[in-house]
Amino acid sequence: MPEFIARRLVQLIPTLIFILVVVFVLVRLLPGDPASAVLGDRALDADVERINRELGLDRSIPVQFWVFVKSFLTGDLGNSISLRIPVTQLIADRLPITMLLTLMAAAIALIIAIPLAFVAALRRERLPDTLIRGGFQVGLSMPVFYIGLVLLTVFGANLRWFPVGGYGDTFPEHLYHLFLPAVTLALSLSAILMRNLRAAIIEVLDADYVTFARSKGLRTRLILFRHILRNALISTLALFGLSIGTLLGGAVITETVFAIPGAGRLMVDSIYGRDYPVVQGLTVTLAVVVSITFLLTDLLQAWLDPRVTK
Amino acid sequence: MSESAQPEAADAARRSVRLPRPGHLPLPFIGGALILGLSVFVAAFPGLFAPYDPLAFDYNAVLQGPSAAHPFGTDNFGRDVLSRVIHAYTIDMQIAIFATIFPFVFGTAVGALVGYAGGIAETIFGRVVDAVITFPFLVLVIAIVSVLGPGLGNMYIAVGLVGWVFYARITAAEVRVQKRLDYADAGRAMGYTHARIIFRHLLPNAITPAIVYWMTDMALAILLGSSLGYLGLGAQPPAAEWGVQIAEAKNFMSTAWWMGVFPGLAIVVTGLGFSLLGDGLAELLRTRR
Amino acid sequence: MSLLRVRDLTATFGAGASRLTAVNRVSFDVAQGEVLGLVGESGSGKSVTLRALLRLLPVGGAVSGRVEWEGRDLVTAGDRELRAVRGRQISMIFQEPMTSLNPVLPVRVQIEENLRAHTGLRGRARTARAKELLDLVGIPDAGRRLDEFPHQFSGGMRQRVMIAIALASEPRLLLADEPTTALDVTIQDQILKLILDLKDQLGMSVVLVTHDLGVVAETCDRMAVMYAGRIVETGSVTDVFARPAHAYTAGLMASVPRASAARSVLHSIEGTPPQLDRVPPGCAFHPRCRFATDICRRDVPALEPRVGERLSACHHADAVAAEGSPV
Repeated sequence: MPEFIARRLVQLIPTLIFILVVVFVLVRLLPGDPASAVLGDRALDADVERINRELGLDRSIPVQFWVFVKSFLTGDLGNSISLRIPVTQLIADRLPITMLLTLMAAAIALIIAIPLAFVAALRRERLPDTLIRGGFQVGLSMPVFYIGLVLLTVFGANLRWFPVGGYGDTFPEHLYHLFLPAVTLALSLSAILMRNLRAAIIEVLDADYVTFARSKGLRTRLILFRHILRNALISTLALFGLSIGTLLGGAVITETVFAIPGAGRLMVDSIYGRDYPVVQGLTVTLAVVVSITFLLTDLLQAWLDPRVTK
Repeated sequence: MSESAQPEAADAARRSVRLPRPGHLPLPFIGGALILGLSVFVAAFPGLFAPYDPLAFDYNAVLQGPSAAHPFGTDNFGRDVLSRVIHAYTIDMQIAIFATIFPFVFGTAVGALVGYAGGIAETIFGRVVDAVITFPFLVLVIAIVSVLGPGLGNMYIAVGLVGWVFYARITAAEVRVQKRLDYADAGRAMGYTHARIIFRHLLPNAITPAIVYWMTDMALAILLGSSLGYLGLGAQPPAAEWGVQIAEAKNFMSTAWWMGVFPGLAIVVTGLGFSLLGDGLAELLRTRR
Repeated sequence: MSLLRVRDLTATFGAGASRLTAVNRVSFDVAQGEVLGLVGESGSGKSVTLRALLRLLPVGGAVSGRVEWEGRDLVTAGDRELRAVRGRQISMIFQEPMTSLNPVLPVRVQIEENLRAHTGLRGRARTARAKELLDLVGIPDAGRRLDEFPHQFSGGMRQRVMIAIALASEPRLLLADEPTTALDVTIQDQILKLILDLKDQLGMSVVLVTHDLGVVAETCDRMAVMYAGRIVETGSVTDVFARPAHAYTAGLMASVPRASAARSVLHSIEGTPPQLDRVPPGCAFHPRCRFATDICRRDVPALEPRVGERLSACHHADAVAAEGSPV
């Protein structure tokens, strides 16, 4: 196992390099001039020069890349143009909120998906299965921002069960504030997970080792959880890991809808404000978060499935 | 076809789409095709269906609920919601197609080449895929849009830069399987060029999963397009686009629910159309195999 | 006195027009301490029969008829009652040791969950018993191997593990579904010998499903031959081998390669067994049978004493028996 972890950590290095290359290329080579984007079309030449110097754009491309990589490795993501504070600090403030939101959404998605996948798989091709799959088919086509607005209006504004935005001050308050947004974010993921898990359960249901387990006279609950769910989850886990990226993307929208001061909201605000260093820093950070999540899902998979580390 | 070579014939038999009679088509396929056929028609001729000008303000009819005159009500500028929803079909169906056509064509071609070549090409491609999927898709797209500036054209570029990877990955996997089947060997034995083997023999057989994914992807494109519209980074107001409409509705959720419900429904129904068609197509192509 | 009495056991899959009958009114007995061989080609319904005894069919399968065990009918028994029989009194082992052990659980868990369900053993005693079982089936270094996963065992060792799990609660009947088919020839013999040894040690009966007549000859006391979901002949192994009383049995025997009769002609039965959705009318074997006459195409032959006491479902049992053994 330690060997496996080490190997996966080493594999992370090329991915990180590639992330940096992609972001670098995006910012430098796509048409559009950051300085004039920041300053507007009628900017003075001197100002453009100053911004370019500030962003390091007056140097040659390889030098720029080297500076860029070095600053990331030293944890220096530059300063926000509009807020005038280090991007690292900004991200450190905002990212935990987004992470908490994402984790809650992931947990809620699993809580919804697992029992329904079981019901659908065990009542395959019958009414409960059809209803569940039909419902999720609709759920998959629902735009996150509209679900959010509806939940916000109904449970926040009208029924007043939940706050209509913000983040609160204490941890329980955070959970309370993030509940509706997390549900919003969880719905489409739970639909995807449900579909996958249902198929996986159906496949495992008639597996030889499940028949063997049944022939041992074990309790149904033990067979369902120990023998069926665990194996079915392994194949769904990869999808779950991949979905974390989608969740983080979805957080951009959810945080905007619910006015949550997280990294997603920061991203949108920075785009409106043409705050390049922040957009760039956030893009890299989120990509790093996702690749770490992939690593964690791999480890979890290895822990669940002893064949992986072989 | 003048060639009577064996692999060619076998290939043609595999490729010919013998559509079953309508009664034998999978139900999801029929449902999806009906919804989308109608959607495309509305998108092409919105004027035939829309009772009003989607952009015309009417300050005498602001925020009116559904009525005979305005079946879906009116918005805060007195614009007819039904007409806006109908005209939005033009933009949103366009998004579904324009945002996915390049990824589909380019991605399947790259996937076929990579899957056929194997070896180092496949390894490098694998790394590229690994790296691209570490960027949350929406985050990457809006980051690109932020550099290029808001608007639909730039959204297509952004989606195109990233989206092809998924098609390529799916197709490469399938080509890898097809490559091992006998008829590919037969083609090689006949001395066909690589290009001919890839694009005339392997790809037609390997493209099924990519086509099925394309349907899902079009539904995702509409969700993405309307999300960007909602954020103000896609279609720009006052254009009629479902996401833009919902953004306009957000301050009137309690007082004028009709402003958001109908564009929302349009998104759901269209998305449902695509995923039904995708499911039906998958079923159809699976039984044909 | 029979330990197990099976009467008119029928297993079907699906419903309505697409319903398939995999096992059709099968009846047989298993005596105390006996090894019964259930023989047939693949698709003959022998494995389904075995699973149907414990109602272990895949999703969509249904069982009817009677399976009498200790005064109970397992076909109508409640879940709790059935669970108390499964793994405790009647155990089962399967063909594929690769796929029959749960790949993600250490062997210890898979043995101990059986002990936990059926015995009062707890904690250390349970572990000791698990280790003892691995010793019993001949796995060296049992203590250490308890915590290994199935993929760390070789095919033959995995089959031993499966046997250890099945025998954990000392059942009185072992149902073995082609237990050696997936193994190398040299290991096949070891496993068969192990099963027979354990049968004697524990005083079990065994129902052994196989397509290999050689295995039957070596290990079984009695045999039942299945074709297209029905039993077509049953009797003691010696009798059947000496003088088969069903054209199909005779055909099967003629197709067995024999080491003793060097370079003898190998007669395989022409054609293939029927698919479940198009079983021929009359005797299901008639399209492949050289004895077939009009009556075979018309009437389903009953399984009844036809040659002496031997049960056969062949209209021409006498003619077949008159030819004697083809081997």
